[in-house]
Amino acid sequence: MSQPINIGSVDDIPAGEARVLDGGDNSTGVDISIFHAEDGNFYALDDECTHEEASLADGFIEDAQVECPLHAAAFCLKTGKALCLPATENARTHRVEVRDGELILYPGEPAPTQD
Amino acid sequence: MDSVIVIGGGLGGFTVVQQLRGRGFAGAIAVVDPEGLPYDRPPLSKEFLAGGIDAEQLHFVEPHWFAERHVDVYAAAATAVDLPDPADDDGRAAVTLSDGGRLFADRVVFATGGRARTLPIPGGDLDSLFVLRTRADAEALRSGLRPGTRLALIGAGLIGAEAASAARGFGAEVTLIEPVDPPLVPAIGRELAERLHAMHTEAGIRVVTAAPVAIRASAGEHSIEFADGTVVSADVVLVGIGIEPETALAEAAGLDVDGGVLTDAGQRTSHPRVWAVGDCARPRYDDGTLGRRAEHWENAMHAGTAAAAAMLGQEPPAPTAPWFWSDRYGVHVEGVGDMSAGETTVTRADASGRVQAAFRLAPAGDGQRVVGAAAIDGGVAVRVARRLIDRGIAADPARLADSSVPYKQLLK
Ligand SMILES: Cc1cc2nc3c(=O)[nH]c(=O)nc-3n(C[C@H](O)[C@H](O)[C@H](O)COP(=O)(O)OP(=O)(O)OC[C@H]3O[C@@H](n4cnc5c(N)ncnc54)[C@H](O)[C@@H]3O)c2cc1C
Ligand code: FES
Repeated sequence: MSQPINIGSVDDIPAGEARVLDGGDNSTGVDISIFHAEDGNFYALDDECTHEEASLADGFIEDAQVECPLHAAAFCLKTGKALCLPATENARTHRVEVRDGELILYPGEPAPTQD
Repeated sequence: MDSVIVIGGGLGGFTVVQQLRGRGFAGAIAVVDPEGLPYDRPPLSKEFLAGGIDAEQLHFVEPHWFAERHVDVYAAAATAVDLPDPADDDGRAAVTLSDGGRLFADRVVFATGGRARTLPIPGGDLDSLFVLRTRADAEALRSGLRPGTRLALIGAGLIGAEAASAARGFGAEVTLIEPVDPPLVPAIGRELAERLHAMHTEAGIRVVTAAPVAIRASAGEHSIEFADGTVVSADVVLVGIGIEPETALAEAAGLDVDGGVLTDAGQRTSHPRVWAVGDCARPRYDDGTLGRRAEHWENAMHAGTAAAAAMLGQEPPAPTAPWFWSDRYGVHVEGVGDMSAGETTVTRADASGRVQAAFRLAPAGDGQRVVGAAAIDGGVAVRVARRLIDRGIAADPARLADSSVPYKQLLK
């Protein structure tokens, strides 16, 4: 498992927005987007939509889901589950933690989920 | 309910299957389509035509998906549907296949889509004219495109315009023929339609603003004639002037059809155990009036979901404003709601000062509501507009137009 990365302060990503961490900087080789959901939680998914190649960080974030900017596939931010067509494959999740106001990403380590 | 036959494996048919299984239906499901495994159509006039993706990548899911979910796919056309007496609760429908087979089920879904409309002019039915509805159509068109090929596109709606963009990559000499200048105003409003239409000329495509009156073909060459006597010569001609819903089978089976198989909000037809979804279906509202038939991707997906829910006695998803997209010349266009309703248009410019988004407004109470919106490379604008429409949120024209107001703020 790769090393956790400090990706900066929670204040760097306003609620309802996302930031991309370049694949070269996160040891997985794949761009990862970190989402600040409106419920205050942070989530991370592979940035590339599983339908085509749109960046999910440019998507519309609402209700702990992100809607792809190209064809409106929706993904659950918590589980990565593809919630509607045209995406049929789930997005890969990564664990993110908030520690003393800092965001810690565990690239390649799936986010813990209850379900 | 223990068995369902879905006639047509396009997006509408596939969604019904995916949703039935996703919602827990464990009975038998058969999909009948001469095209075989379900695949997606929008790339046919975009990446697939341009050669950027292959036939496998068009499939919604990998072939094993169907086997794992016990869904039988029959690569045949349905040629007849015999429906039971609607009053007979145990009656089963019989579907006859083009290979002679016969399938039985207690529910049937028509998801037969549409076929390309032919030009109602002399020569409009020539076999050598291309249309673009299927994978085979796209492959045939692509194989005719070489550097210097003279390609004439009749119709600059979504498919003609996308094909023009894709054909540029082959070094073809493209002429786009369209009587309306600019096309797509009802879909995206005048401001954006003008910006988009100008991109053809910027890309080196010749645009002819006129309606052809006849087409002749001889020795592999087509002559497209116009009322003023001018002629466009072309090696390859693609006609993209819209579709006719594929309703013959449903009509023969005795369903109510009027410019589409008539359905209620749960996609139920005039027969209690038959549903219709997607491009072939047309809404009939509770008061008996008929709605407009939609021919967009998202409508077929939404209808497939609503039909599956209704079949299982579950709550269908709330209706949302109709939405579509188109891609050409490296830009992404989206439209939502109805850009021909309402009374005024408000536009917002992008960083370089061009119109990026247009919002159509209608008076409501003592304020204004968004009834339609469209954008070029402005997905968030359209997503926000969709929510403004669906939730009936009052709109402030000044804020819609002000590019310093983030789109999402408009929801607050
Ligand atoms: C080239 C192209 C590009 C498009 N681009 C866009 C876009 O960018 N954005 C957008 O929003 N929409 C787009 N659309 C529209 C969108 O793809 C359609 O609205 C959608 O596919 C409709 O789904 P459907 O299931 O109703 O019909 P279809 O996808 O047309 O599927 C109907 C299926 O029924 C089958 N069938 C017909 N008759 C029979 C029979 N008798 N027996 C068995 N099977 C039968 C056909 O073989 C076909 O596979 C595009 C369409 C095309 C053709
Ligand atoms: S690229 Fe995301 S839905 Fe198509």
